Amino acid sequence: MNAAMNEPSEVLVDCQSVWKIFGGRAQAAVKAISERGLSKKQVLQEFDCVVGVSDASLQVRRGEIFCIMGLSGSGKSTLIRLLNRLIEPSLGKITVKGKEIARLNAAELRDMRARNIGMVFQSVALLPHRTVLENAAFGLEARGVAKDERNRTARAALEKVGLADWTSRYPNELSGGMQQRVGLARAIAADPEIILMDEPFSALDPLIRRQLQDEFRQLTKSLGKSAVFITHDLEEAIRIGDRIAIMKDGVIVQVGTAEEIVTKPADDYVSDFVAGISRIHLVKAHSVMRPVAEFKSAQPHNDVNALLRTSPEADIGELIDLTMQSDRDAVAVVEDGTVVGVVTIRGLLRGVAGKPAG
Amino acid sequence: MDISVITDTFDAWTDAALGWISDNGEWLFEFVRSVLEGTYDGVLWLLQLAPFYVIAIIAALLGWRLINALSGVLAGLAMVFCAVMGLWTETMSTLALVITATILALFVGIPIGIVAGFVRSFDRFLEPVLDLIQTLPPYIYLLPAIALLGYGPATALIATFIVAMPPAIRLTSLGIRMTPLEFVELGQASGLTPWQMFIKIRLPFAIPSVMAGINQSLMMAFGMVVIAGIVGSGGLGETIYSAVRTLDIATSINAAIAIVILTMVLDRLTQSAARRAKGGA
Repeated sequence: MNAAMNEPSEVLVDCQSVWKIFGGRAQAAVKAISERGLSKKQVLQEFDCVVGVSDASLQVRRGEIFCIMGLSGSGKSTLIRLLNRLIEPSLGKITVKGKEIARLNAAELRDMRARNIGMVFQSVALLPHRTVLENAAFGLEARGVAKDERNRTARAALEKVGLADWTSRYPNELSGGMQQRVGLARAIAADPEIILMDEPFSALDPLIRRQLQDEFRQLTKSLGKSAVFITHDLEEAIRIGDRIAIMKDGVIVQVGTAEEIVTKPADDYVSDFVAGISRIHLVKAHSVMRPVAEFKSAQPHNDVNALLRTSPEADIGELIDLTMQSDRDAVAVVEDGTVVGVVTIRGLLRGVAGKPAG
Repeated sequence: MDISVITDTFDAWTDAALGWISDNGEWLFEFVRSVLEGTYDGVLWLLQLAPFYVIAIIAALLGWRLINALSGVLAGLAMVFCAVMGLWTETMSTLALVITATILALFVGIPIGIVAGFVRSFDRFLEPVLDLIQTLPPYIYLLPAIALLGYGPATALIATFIVAMPPAIRLTSLGIRMTPLEFVELGQASGLTPWQMFIKIRLPFAIPSVMAGINQSLMMAFGMVVIAGIVGSGGLGETIYSAVRTLDIATSINAAIAIVILTMVLDRLTQSAARRAKGGA
């Protein structure tokens, strides 16, 4: 697809072993953790402190949409606020565009937030006494951009989210989905490299939500932005994210692509989560195919060369279509001109059921 | 020792202290007095510039714009009624007193409230002080004022100012503190400076509360201005006070009606102004 997929591109946000501990004795708890390696439970017992984020490490690359999925209380909202230092980390290092944000002074931090990291909130947070245009221009206004210029930029951003005709309305005249579009326009108007999305679509109804998810992904990709997207909905994470981190009790349990997470869940918690997820578009031919030799010995009468062919990246949905078109109940997977495996109906069923071949 | 000796001594000290203060601070009190009375005279002059029907029309227009047509008509008629009762001059001087005292209270109270909204410890210190001011009978504030500023509108103004200030402080401070968290986060995440945060986020959200504070201050001022009739405030308060002393019940009731009318008109107008501020758009 694009360059970002093939070569490892620049890391924009880098979190290394970040902890956030809430409570009166957080300092002492931090010391105990770094010296004695206490667990979350021990910290609560000994110091009466709550561990919000525990030893989290992640990298967000340029052009990537990184989803953090977790249920409420999993620490995902805390984690995203650590990335622009709305919350100070207790321990660990966060680097944004090569700068360690804990070391920035107040003015440098303001500048970084105004120019490099935008944020979109679940509550949208549109200022009720300002028009849609004035809201969209808010970030630029904070930066001291002249009125004409910021209005032009904000209008262009509103056009991108399909709200060009609503510039002079007030937020309370807009539906929830439109309001969140303004929130997104406000973030992209300031033209940051990274957009933090804090459960932006959670409060919307399912149809609007899907629509916004697709629009968001498309917009982010076409503008070449990176995004960290928080959600409690795994399907949303799969729809939007290039990579997904699953959080539980402040810990990142697993990081990977949607396919990796669905086909190789790291533990029972993740597998419980992925149990209900449709694999049709997630599981690819390479993870359900069987070796050619095995297929030949199992079905000697079936000629491999007569099978319909596809690539290892074809998903279950495409494989089903191909299987239905032929009368041979199998599809050959071809890479660089040679048949590398065969997907049988049995393999397809395994893939749909979430039990990869092996 | 006889208990009366203690009280006599205390009285003597108080007298001496007051005497010392008024001797040594005379320039200060003269200055305060002239500022207060100057402002009051200015406001009164302005109000009396126009004949009563002009004021009535202004009240009607405000009522119409801020509430609705019916309220506009009622507000206008109410003002005409005050004039018909032959109490127009008194009504206007009461209005001037209330406006002057409230403006002073807001000038002092709103900045204090803003500071208290930001500095939690200052707010905690203010809380009992304001409680005390509001618990004591408002009558009390006339005593030191009359001792230092003498008989006249300046004393009435100071006492009214003290009574009218607490709601302005309290509700301003509340408004500043009550900025919704998501908007504070928005400000921070957008890289606002502390000053921008105050002007662009905190203040707009505080305005409805501040407006409610202005309305409350005004109402407190009305209450006090009647009591201040005793110290020669002029206006309806004094009319009531002297009418009661001469058992001229009819006049005192007329003046009371005029005060009720004035209070109601201003209350309605400022309340709906406050509601508008809340409505935002």
